[in-house]
Amino acid sequence: MKKTLFALSVYVAGLVLIFFQPAFGQGEYEFDLSEIEKEIEKKPYYIGGFLEFRPVLFGLDRDSAFHKLRFFDQDKGSTLEQYNFGLRLEGGYQKGIASVYFRTDSVLWYDYQGWDGDIDLLEGYLSLKPGPSFTLDAGKKVVQWGKGYAFNAVNFVSRPKDPDDPTEPVEGYYLAVADWIKSFGGHLKTLAFTPVILPVTKSINDKFGKPDHINFAAKLYFLLWDTDLDLLFLTGESRTTRYGLDFARNITANFAVHGEFAWLPGFDKKSIDSEGHLYTEKSDILKYLFGIRYLTTNDMTFIIEYYHNGAGLDGEDADNFYRFVDRAYDTYLSTGNSSELDRAAQLSQGSLSTAKPMRDYLYFRAGWNEPFDILYFTPAVFSIINLNDRSLSITPELLYKPITNLEFRLRGAFLVGGKDTEYGEKLNDYKIELRVRYFF
Amino acid sequence: MIKLLSMILMCLCLSVPVYSDDGNAILKKVDRNLNPDSFEMYRKLINIEPDGSKKEFIMFTVKKGRDQVASVFLSPASEKGRATLRLGENMWLYIPNVGKPIRITSLQSVTGGIFNNADIMRLDYSLIPNKIECFASSGMLIKTLYFKRVQDFGGGIVRPAVIETDSPLHKGYRSIMIFAKMKKKELPDEVFTLNFLSKVESLR
Repeated sequence: MKKTLFALSVYVAGLVLIFFQPAFGQGEYEFDLSEIEKEIEKKPYYIGGFLEFRPVLFGLDRDSAFHKLRFFDQDKGSTLEQYNFGLRLEGGYQKGIASVYFRTDSVLWYDYQGWDGDIDLLEGYLSLKPGPSFTLDAGKKVVQWGKGYAFNAVNFVSRPKDPDDPTEPVEGYYLAVADWIKSFGGHLKTLAFTPVILPVTKSINDKFGKPDHINFAAKLYFLLWDTDLDLLFLTGESRTTRYGLDFARNITANFAVHGEFAWLPGFDKKSIDSEGHLYTEKSDILKYLFGIRYLTTNDMTFIIEYYHNGAGLDGEDADNFYRFVDRAYDTYLSTGNSSELDRAAQLSQGSLSTAKPMRDYLYFRAGWNEPFDILYFTPAVFSIINLNDRSLSITPELLYKPITNLEFRLRGAFLVGGKDTEYGEKLNDYKIELRVRYFF
Repeated sequence: MIKLLSMILMCLCLSVPVYSDDGNAILKKVDRNLNPDSFEMYRKLINIEPDGSKKEFIMFTVKKGRDQVASVFLSPASEKGRATLRLGENMWLYIPNVGKPIRITSLQSVTGGIFNNADIMRLDYSLIPNKIECFASSGMLIKTLYFKRVQDFGGGIVRPAVIETDSPLHKGYRSIMIFAKMKKKELPDEVFTLNFLSKVESLR
């Protein structure tokens, strides 16, 4: 009884202490609620974006295939510098159920070739939202499908993202897309249907595929048993018909899994012979990926993804290409004739121009949020491993946002690989990049 | 006034689990809905550094029932449009640049500072505590939440308008969350879906 009373007394004393102590020992924070209410007042329009400065240092690999292709007739030394100045501008206007949105990228850069620049409309579309259950968008828009972080197998109606910078936006396609959503109780919580119409002409969406066709795609989404599930397809004459499935699920509060599968029957699969000739044959292709996201107790996030691209080049194709480049370079050195090198360069801009042209890749990323109690600081390291030729890139990165709207990112990409491997034959051995962004 | 007094009294009498090994567990234990079933609100999050410099974030949030919450950052410009959705144990993050929602672990931090996701996404407290201390399993104090300025938002919504946080791990730093324009709003379930996450701001 005495023990109980003692415990109760301690408890009540603690409670009173907590309640009456100057709980706000650091002083009251003064604010004016009406000022905050003014800040949050909604305007029908907005405009924003960022200014960017991004100097890059490339450490060239003078023996690599891509160095031979690019600099066979000039000596650029062992390093190259590039200075990039960018402006991202985006804005929108909303009136009733209608709204418009745009996003542009303007880039000016200086490198060994002098000054150059580019302006791209990444997105620009009209959106109609009569209610939360239905949306209709038309114009240039990015429609990203798939659950992968670095790779995607089922992104049927968007350009592929860059696995080295997967959170950067890509350019959209001109299309019309609707979104119909229905929620339920029970195990099936959400059902959503997203049809897409994507025309291709010689002047619109010409990079998508064969011109003068209208293509149709759709995604059916379920949130079923706390699992995201998508069934997807694309059909039309611009690209071969393809079917997809993806999923994502939290296994525990700090562990999530995801995956994607795509089947492309009758796909025009490319291969390269040792003479540098490109062959196409019809083949049924499977692409898939599996990934996990894991958060540790000290706020480190690990992302691991395995990606198989059945449409990618196999080891023999890659070997044939690199040998062809070597022979073309030798021919140039002995005769001064660069026509074979020009042909190899064209070949590289086709089949080998995708970010990751081969078949099997492993992506690994570890990021530590605010380590050692340093606020707004996130160091990370990521690696992309070509499992077919065992070459890889490894990229440490420091991200710091010291003051509002100012962001610094310093990263160095180091490429590791022997002769006739993807990373061993790239233009550079390493790349060091500082990116400073001021948002407005 | 009587309502306020009765709440303060309730706080004094009922704030039992003030100390515990798990701060989030405390918040769950004291969970009783004092908010309307379906509502919208704005929150200003201010991180103050030892030298007095500040980082401010403004979020628009909609909530329905006990486990449907969607939030979107309205400012600063660097975070604008970044949105999160919690549906039961499922959580997604939408980053405008990425263009699609990504399923994240529900413990993932969405923004820097002393407030974590649990603090940002949790809106209900069964009583209005004066202070909550969160300890690591080792017994180390991680942070303290102070609940202040109990305010009548109208429509029967009475709750603290300010939550402050400090942490011995970040000496001299503190975070303040100010609640504003909290009001009842009929929200269909379709608002709390993956497909609608990029459009949450259009509800304002």
